[in-house]
Amino acid sequence: MKPRHFLKCCIAVIAVTAFFCSVQAVFASTPNNGEEALGRKLAKQAVKGSKRWSTINHAKADALNSDFTTGEEITKACLSCHSEAATQFHKSIHWTWLASGDKSDIRYGKAGYSVNNFCISGNAMEDKGCLKCHTSWNRKGVKGEVNCLKCHNSSGFNFIEAFSDIKAFSEDGDPETDEMVKDIQQEIKQEVTRVTFPTRKNCGDCHFKGGGGDGVKHGDLDTSLTKPNRMLDVHMGIDGKNFSCTRCHTTVDHNIAGRIYTNPAVATRKSLIEDDLAPKITCVSCHSSAPHKNDSKMNDHTDVVSCQACHIPTFARVNPTMMWWDWTKAGKLKDGKPYHEDGPFGKPVYKSIKGEFRWEKNVMPEYFWFNGSLTSTTANEVIDPAQIVKVSHPVGDKTDPEARIYPFKIHRGKQPYDKINKKLLAPMLSGKNGFWTTFDMNDAIEHGNKTIGIPYSGEFDYVETTYAFPITHMVAPKENALNCTQCHTRENSRLANITGLYMPGRDKSDLIDTIGWILVIGALAGVLIHGIGRFFIRNGREG
Amino acid sequence: MVFMFASVSFSAAFASEGPDGNKRKGKYTYRKVFKACAASGEVESATPKISPADKTMAQWEEIFQNKNFDEFGCRDNWTGLSDNDILDIYSYFYHHASDSPTPAKCQ
Repeated sequence: MKPRHFLKCCIAVIAVTAFFCSVQAVFASTPNNGEEALGRKLAKQAVKGSKRWSTINHAKADALNSDFTTGEEITKACLSCHSEAATQFHKSIHWTWLASGDKSDIRYGKAGYSVNNFCISGNAMEDKGCLKCHTSWNRKGVKGEVNCLKCHNSSGFNFIEAFSDIKAFSEDGDPETDEMVKDIQQEIKQEVTRVTFPTRKNCGDCHFKGGGGDGVKHGDLDTSLTKPNRMLDVHMGIDGKNFSCTRCHTTVDHNIAGRIYTNPAVATRKSLIEDDLAPKITCVSCHSSAPHKNDSKMNDHTDVVSCQACHIPTFARVNPTMMWWDWTKAGKLKDGKPYHEDGPFGKPVYKSIKGEFRWEKNVMPEYFWFNGSLTSTTANEVIDPAQIVKVSHPVGDKTDPEARIYPFKIHRGKQPYDKINKKLLAPMLSGKNGFWTTFDMNDAIEHGNKTIGIPYSGEFDYVETTYAFPITHMVAPKENALNCTQCHTRENSRLANITGLYMPGRDKSDLIDTIGWILVIGALAGVLIHGIGRFFIRNGREG
Repeated sequence: MVFMFASVSFSAAFASEGPDGNKRKGKYTYRKVFKACAASGEVESATPKISPADKTMAQWEEIFQNKNFDEFGCRDNWTGLSDNDILDIYSYFYHHASDSPTPAKCQ
């Protein structure tokens, strides 16, 4: 073989090899329907069908076979077997409503200095309206006994109402009601034995209705998650995996994983392969940090973008969520009486006792860097009322290895602040001195701030605030996840406000663009010159 | 008897504070109606489907004044109730109507 022909053969082999390699690379990065993503495989292994079992039939427990007349008697019966339950529970945030394990640290928590832009403050458990969601009997707060049934009874029976009726009937001297008391006690005896691990309804009775109503607070938690389909949530869908809350919110000594205040829900992301006792609270726990198919470009995103950012395209997809609460409008009366007006979605847009609201459905999240912690502006911190006050806001930036781009609901509103001390205020709302009774905001603040021990100057005004909620429930099926162009686009990118990184498609660099164009034009020019050269050289020889 | 009930309910309904029966007793009597009705097989569930908060005070006033309980079903069980039982049930519905100060809540 002549050297010239040998050279041609070599070039041809290299070209063909390069072509096949590039084709292979293209197909490798395209999802292959027959292949299952590693993260999906791992998740399936981690969550096989629930086979919970128990060694106790509570219907046969002697301690529960009693004519109870108060809730506290039931708690005593529970503790006669579960001796450490109350001791453990007393240390949990569900009981103390304080973020710190140290009870003297009242900086963060509903029972501390924390405020929000909904009903504003828990007033150190003095606002009895809030205590409907505390896990004690009869709204006694930490002074009462633990109501175990709030989380561990599946009957839906209203024990508190039943005991209140027993008490009233026992004291009315009416022989006719004696029979009713017996009936109620019989019903209690029957329902009290329906003991369970917490169901979605147990958790949802408070967490779906936080802020005073269905879907008011979170945006990704409302009563639509009591019996969702998998289009709403692939994990909880009753036609899908049918997870209860506790499937991910795992528990140690009655401390339930997933709470976020200034501390993140977990210190580091760990899969169950790395640590089989890790809480299942993050996506990584079950799906690993390579959740997509091998060689998928998506796996290169997981160190920057949270799973939630792409897999929860919108929140409040079934029920609307509140997006705006303006306390400046509260207190208007009609004919001397409080009133309310309903608006779109059949939701209230005005209430004399609370002010003006705005609701939205299918809401596109706002995106921020988030390392798992939230800053919190409490009632004890000085604010700048000329600015919008971030009562709660995500922490993190590109340089933080734990931070990811994460979706949020940002609830906006106006709430009272102290004009002299420049601090957010904590008005008392329910009860005889509360705003809902007196419609006197100044008086309500006087009483409210006293409960948390923060002085009030006597002069107040309103300031605009924001409150951030991480969006992590309502995970859509994968076919409804975001596509590339919803972020990698020059106009209306979902990540338009994310700084600290170069995003192809969204961002533009003159230097990189110039280098790119030089390479493209250079390649074209090279091919052209080579072709012309060959043409003229060959032209002279042929014939 | 009918005249007596009519006059009692009429005066009760137009009293400024609504009917003055025993609303707590009324709640259990109402539930008992449905338990008995479910036991006889007329309705599937012993839990009543209609709640006081489903209507306003004025709407309950009209229903109980006209003694038109068709909407509830279980006609035989309603017929067996005494005038006082009906007044108690009326008090329960009226005082926990949707526009009352204490609307009934499903918990």
